[in-house]
Amino acid sequence: MAAPVPWACCAVLAAATAVVYTQKHSPQEAPHVQYERLGSDVTLPCGTANWDAAVTWRVNGTDLAPDLLNGSQLVLHGLELGHSGLYACFHRDSWHLHHQVLLHVGLPPREPVLSCRSNTYPKGFYCSWHLPTPTYIPNTFNVTVLHGSKMMVCEKDPALKNRCHIRYMHLFSTIKYKVSISVSNALGHNATAITFDEFTIVKPDPPENVVARPVPSNPRRLEVTWQTPSTWPDPESFPLKFFLRYRPLILDQWQHVELSDGTAHTITDAYAGKEYIIQVAAKDNEIGTWSDWSVAAHATPWTEEPRHLTTEAQAPETTTSTTSSLAPPPTTKICDPGELGSGGGPLVPFLISVPVTLALAAAAATASSLLI
Amino acid sequence: MDLRAGDSWGMLACLCTVLWHLPAVPALNRTGDPGPGPSIQKTYDLTRYLEHQLRSLAGTYLNYLGPPFNEPDFNPPRLGAESLPRATVNLEVWRSLNDKLRLTQNYEAYSHLLCYLRGLNRQAATAELRRSLAHFCTSLQGLLGSIAGVMAALGYPLPQPLPGTEPAWAPGPAHSDFLQKMDDFWLLKELQTWLWRSAKDFNRLKKKIQPPAAAVTLRLEAHGF
Repeated sequence: MAAPVPWACCAVLAAATAVVYTQKHSPQEAPHVQYERLGSDVTLPCGTANWDAAVTWRVNGTDLAPDLLNGSQLVLHGLELGHSGLYACFHRDSWHLHHQVLLHVGLPPREPVLSCRSNTYPKGFYCSWHLPTPTYIPNTFNVTVLHGSKMMVCEKDPALKNRCHIRYMHLFSTIKYKVSISVSNALGHNATAITFDEFTIVKPDPPENVVARPVPSNPRRLEVTWQTPSTWPDPESFPLKFFLRYRPLILDQWQHVELSDGTAHTITDAYAGKEYIIQVAAKDNEIGTWSDWSVAAHATPWTEEPRHLTTEAQAPETTTSTTSSLAPPPTTKICDPGELGSGGGPLVPFLISVPVTLALAAAAATASSLLI
Repeated sequence: MDLRAGDSWGMLACLCTVLWHLPAVPALNRTGDPGPGPSIQKTYDLTRYLEHQLRSLAGTYLNYLGPPFNEPDFNPPRLGAESLPRATVNLEVWRSLNDKLRLTQNYEAYSHLLCYLRGLNRQAATAELRRSLAHFCTSLQGLLGSIAGVMAALGYPLPQPLPGTEPAWAPGPAHSDFLQKMDDFWLLKELQTWLWRSAKDFNRLKKKIQPPAAAVTLRLEAHGF
C-alpha cells in the first residue's frame, strides 16, 4: 500500500531468491555416484545429516513424497531403471542443499559372447564381442590373445568399440590361439575364452559387385560376374572358390553351382522371361568356411521384342521369325496358364491361338538353332 | 617291406627304402613332356586327397589313444617332438621362398613324416588301425614321388640325407607311455598342417609356372556364346 514497502519487499525478495538460488544450485560437493542393482532395495542417507534431521528429498528437481523416508534417509524398494537419476536432499527449513547422489540402476554383466574370424587370411584375424543382455551401466572389456605361451597384441578397431585386430606373425601353426575376454562394471564382472586353430576361423567376406545380365538373343541365359572381396589380401596365393545360387523369384527352390576359379559364370537353364535372383558366396580353396551370401543381383533373361498385334485379322501375317509373347516359347519347361501374359507383352485373346501356332512351329526351329 | 623293431635301425631302413624307390617315378614323364604343370596339379590334388584321408585316420587314431587326445579342446604345450618337421613359418619368409626351396622343404618334411608314420604303424594295436596307417603311408609315398617328379622336371636335385642325421624318433626306453602318445598326437597334427601348407605351396607354384593355360581358357570362352 505505501510506496516504500513494495521497494523494500522487492529488494528483500530478490536477495532471498538469490541466496536460495545459489545455495540450491551450487552444490556443496560433487554428487556422489552410486550404482545399484536392478530389483534391489537401497537406502540413501542424506550425507552426514543426523537420522532425525528434517530433510526433503528431490529427484531430478521433483519433490519426493515423505512416506519414502526413514528419518532423513530415502528408501527405495525394487529398483527399476526409471529410478536412475540425480537425488538431492535439502534441509527442510533452510532449503540448504546437503547431499546429492547420482544413482545408476543396472545389472552385473552376464558371460560375454566372443567370436573370432579371419576375413583377411593370411594377414590376420579379428575378434568381436558383445553382452547377451544389456547392463544399462558402463562396462569395460579387456581382451588377451595367447598363442601357445606367447602373448599377442589385439589392436582396437578405430571404428567399432567391441572389436580388435590381431596380425599373424607365423602361418601354418599347429599351436592353437586362445582369446580371453573379461568384462566388468560397478556391479560385477564376468569372463569367457575361446580356443581355435588358425585354419578353422577363416571366413572371407562375400563377393562384391555381383552383376547379372541377360545375354542378347539367348532367352535362357544369364551372365553373372562378381569380384573377389576387397578385404581378401592375396587372391593369387590364396585363391578363393565360389558358390553361386539362383532361382526365379516365383520359385522357392535354389539351383547351385560350385566354381573352383574365375569370377564369371553363365547360367544356361534359366526359365525364359522370368526374373531371377542370384547370389554368390566365397571360400578359401582349402580351409575355413563359406562366406555369407552376397547382396542379391536381379536379372531377367533376354526376350524378343513383341510385335504389336492390333486386330485379329492381321495376326496370320506374322513372319516365321516372330515369337508371339502370348504363348510360352517351346523350350520352357514350365507350362501353366498363369504364365500367359507374364512376358510383358500385350494381352491378346485366345482366338488368335490357332494361326499363331503355325508361326510358333517355325519360330521353334529358329530359336533352337540360336540356343547352341 | 619288413622293418625291424629297433628304432634307429628302422629309421635308416625306412630312409633307404624311400630314396631307392624314387628314381622310378620321374621316368614316367618323358613322353610328350607337357612341362611340370600337370605334375604340380597332380601333386596339389594328392595333398587334398591325403588331407581328406588323414581326417578319418586321425579321428580313429586319436580315439584309440583315448582322452584327452581325442578331445576337441585339447591344447597342450608343444614339448618334446623336437625333431618333427614344423610347417609353421614366418609369413614374409614363406611368401618369398624360391621354387627350389619351397619344393625341397616339402620333400624333406614328408620324408621325415613318412618315417615317423611307419614307426607309428608298428606300435598300433588293432589290425584295422595298422591297415589304415599302411594305406596312408602308401599314399604319402605317392606324394613324395610326385614332389620328386616336379623337382626333376624343374631340374632341381633331390635332397640327400647327410650321414648321421637320420631323424631320431623315440629318445630311449625311458620314454613314458603318456609322452609317447603326446608324440603321436603332434605327429598327426604336424601332418595335417603340412598338408594344408602344401596345398598353398603348390597353388603358388601352379600360378608361377602355368600362366599360358589361362590364356587358352579365355579364348574358348569368347567363342562359346
